[in-house]
Amino acid sequence: MLLERDGLLASLEHLVDLAGDGAGSMAMIAGEAGTGKTSLMNELARRIEPRGRVLIGGCDPLTTPRPLSPLMDIAADPDAHFTGHDLAESDPFSLFADVLDDLKGTIRPTLLVIEDMHWADEATLDFLRYIGRRVADTKAVVACTYREDELGPDHPLRTVLGDLATRQSTVRFSVDPLTVEAVGYLASESRHDPADLHRVTGGNAFYVTEILATGEDLPGSVSDAVMARVRRLTPPAQRVVEGVSVAPRDLVVDHALALSGAELSDIDEATLSGVVVARGARLAFRHELARSAVEESLPMGRRLSLHREMIDLLRADEDLDLARLAHHASRAGDGSLVVEYAPEAARQASLRGAHREAAEFFELALIQAGRMMPSELAQLRLDLAVELSILDRQEQALQQLLLAAAFYREGSDHLMLAGALRQLSNSLWRTSDLEGARRAIDEAIQLLQGAGDDEALALAHEESAYNWMLARRHAPALEDLARCKELAERSDADHVMLRHDYMAATVETVLGDAERGLDGLKRVESLFRQHGDDRLAVSALGMLGSGAGEVRRYDTALDALGTAIAEGLRTDADYSVAYNRSWQARIAFEQGKWDEATGISELVLEDRYGRAAIAPVTALGALGRVRVRRGDPRAEEALGEALRIGDGCEMQHLWPPSCGLAELAWLEGRSAEIPGILDWVWRQALAADSRWARGEVGLWMWKAGAIDGSPEHAAEPYALHMDGKWREAADTWHEIGCPYEEGLALAEGDEEGMLEAIRILDGLGARPAARIVRSRLRAMGVAHIPQGPRSETRANPAGLTNRQVEVLGLMAQGLSNGEIADRLYISKKTTEHHVSAVLAKLGATTRAKAIARAESLHLTKDGGGGLS
Amino acid sequence: MPRYVVERTFDGGLEIPTDPNGFNAMMGVVGNNAKEQVTWVQSFVSADKTKTYCIYDGPSPEAIRRAAELNSLPVDVISEVRVLDPYFYVGPSS
Repeated sequence: MLLERDGLLASLEHLVDLAGDGAGSMAMIAGEAGTGKTSLMNELARRIEPRGRVLIGGCDPLTTPRPLSPLMDIAADPDAHFTGHDLAESDPFSLFADVLDDLKGTIRPTLLVIEDMHWADEATLDFLRYIGRRVADTKAVVACTYREDELGPDHPLRTVLGDLATRQSTVRFSVDPLTVEAVGYLASESRHDPADLHRVTGGNAFYVTEILATGEDLPGSVSDAVMARVRRLTPPAQRVVEGVSVAPRDLVVDHALALSGAELSDIDEATLSGVVVARGARLAFRHELARSAVEESLPMGRRLSLHREMIDLLRADEDLDLARLAHHASRAGDGSLVVEYAPEAARQASLRGAHREAAEFFELALIQAGRMMPSELAQLRLDLAVELSILDRQEQALQQLLLAAAFYREGSDHLMLAGALRQLSNSLWRTSDLEGARRAIDEAIQLLQGAGDDEALALAHEESAYNWMLARRHAPALEDLARCKELAERSDADHVMLRHDYMAATVETVLGDAERGLDGLKRVESLFRQHGDDRLAVSALGMLGSGAGEVRRYDTALDALGTAIAEGLRTDADYSVAYNRSWQARIAFEQGKWDEATGISELVLEDRYGRAAIAPVTALGALGRVRVRRGDPRAEEALGEALRIGDGCEMQHLWPPSCGLAELAWLEGRSAEIPGILDWVWRQALAADSRWARGEVGLWMWKAGAIDGSPEHAAEPYALHMDGKWREAADTWHEIGCPYEEGLALAEGDEEGMLEAIRILDGLGARPAARIVRSRLRAMGVAHIPQGPRSETRANPAGLTNRQVEVLGLMAQGLSNGEIADRLYISKKTTEHHVSAVLAKLGATTRAKAIARAESLHLTKDGGGGLS
Repeated sequence: MPRYVVERTFDGGLEIPTDPNGFNAMMGVVGNNAKEQVTWVQSFVSADKTKTYCIYDGPSPEAIRRAAELNSLPVDVISEVRVLDPYFYVGPSS
């Protein structure tokens, strides 16, 4: 029986009942090791079984876990209506979708349990995110247990928990240690003093039962208690237990027999004693604490030999379990086997998009550097660098590449060196060494001249074109692209031509004809997918997102960014997810969706140590600029930090925060400072070919009186604005969807324009700018300037203020004026005032008519509310 | 954590009853603020009850705004401030 778990069990059972009614949920259950999470789940399963379906799976404590092991376990259960997919063949997403369908499609509710989430592999964490966002529409409770004390600050489960915690459908539980009373109850038959027992065990249920089971004096440690139990078994049964202890999660019975040389009856003795349990055809310890106690009690020689025997047994299988093999090889200290299995396991993981695992496997192999041929080692470093770069561990990636390049340089292996330099160029760019990046790719090109490898040279020119594009230099980019195309044609390699087309479309988008470029990028993305190159397809989506973003084609950009981020989250593509999100923030800022912009920025900024600068720079830029436009504090701080972190980055990343500082100066009447603030960025913009950079930076220079008209090749709406065509500029901004810029343009107009500007700026909450326009109107002697709306007023159809919408909502619920007054903590007189305003604005003569009218305008959808 | 002064304007005047309903409302506000790690320190209300000046501690202006949204409270201006206390200074010894 379980003590002190009634409350928890009742709550969890209730969740299952709700799921039966169609409202699913995710239960996150935390507790220390040994608090009895498994017992809790078993008891819950027992209670649910009569009226619901129970599916249980768990995660592996392997050095590198098998991807999706819990789902694979559950798939084998006959009650599950989805099957395990061959993960080498298909993509995990289709498995997730199958699971979701299963959880939606049953009549009885389902309890899906995943244990030990602190050991979850990346794909399982993706599954958790995926199902956590959709569970509310299923008839399932997805219950996950984990050890909170094993989550370090960087643990990936923390991010997932953070993502899911705010959802209504996520409920968090904690399995607490037993109280002294509970321990006393358990120990009532023993001679132990409950307080002492509680003190020694910390109320940990597992420790308590272990100690009670030995029936002896309080042991010095839990391991002693466990070992005492083990030693009461006969020698063959003990060997079985020892064998099971070296296997990370469980052990197939056949392997247990082989390792121990025991008989089936010895296995029975072991399971009957309770030291190990049988789960299907596998043996496992009841608890990880017991397993590690036994494994650690083994003398080193015996432990190593058991691991080595496991390797032999595993190698006899037809389908090599690479994850287990690499684990045992590493524990057995068998470096050459690690070298044999780990890199291959890494490459498989990488193809599957499990980049974190791939990196871990490569790193395991790297430890064995001394056993490898130097050329093998260099290649390993290149492969590892690819993974690290995707995971946004840029400094580490750079380190690996520098070592690899040094090796090839020594050996005068020009082809390999050129390949390494290509990767190195990219890595140097990401770590803000722009000159180093340019030198590296130039050297690569030089090395490949006349080397006879057209493909390699074509790809080097592609990387160089990419580098020019990043710097927004059109002519040099086109030169490299032309060279690349020639070589691609000569080498007759389709995939190289496709890379050329990809880069050409990107260059076209930001430096040429945007529409044509964007169409080209879309075409390239689908071609990459057809060729099965998902990684490049997602990269193309990212280019589409930021490229369309820079040229302000927002629909295209947001579409692409959303898809790219979803896929990036699934495949550990941390670098690209961070940067794409920061672009979402920037676009939201430009569209006047300021709450969204700051929310996304904060998400990006949570996690930035050791990562590439461009994502936090872009996010801080958006955050800072929102503060500038709202007149909120700490604007300068955010923008200053963006510029500081961004030191060494390209102009394309630095112009927005610089313009933010310029805008702040203008709003605060310090326009004289603007030319100084924008000096570097302005010179860069003039030397480069980005029309939008010239446009925005030029605008602030113009407002500061530092230039006369629009600079050459400035983006259209900016040019119109600077040329005095304020109405056309405003219309263009309106079409693009930038309300603040529209307001700024109108503010340069006549009285009518300025009044329109105020309306827009007030609606955005852009106080400083609205104040400037108001004072201009006053200076002009204009009489009726609209008051700042109560900042409560946001856009809504009948022009009701937020307070009036609330009152309306309560009216629709049938409350009287007195009741409404109480609910909203305002006086009855004020309520009456609001109610008549509501009737007037809705053109209604009675309450009933007002409510009907409001309903037809969808105003009562969110209800009124007042304070929570 | 920075300290902020938040100016708010209440159209028809702010009225909070001094009874259990009022108490619940205040506790509700405190609870919502906690979700954003925002602490409401104290408020000053104008004589006609249309304007309040609220002292808050919070991690950022955005957190202040989100907490306000949760509580359906208006936000006019947010300013960052430091405390100045006339009795903090030590005068010449008498």
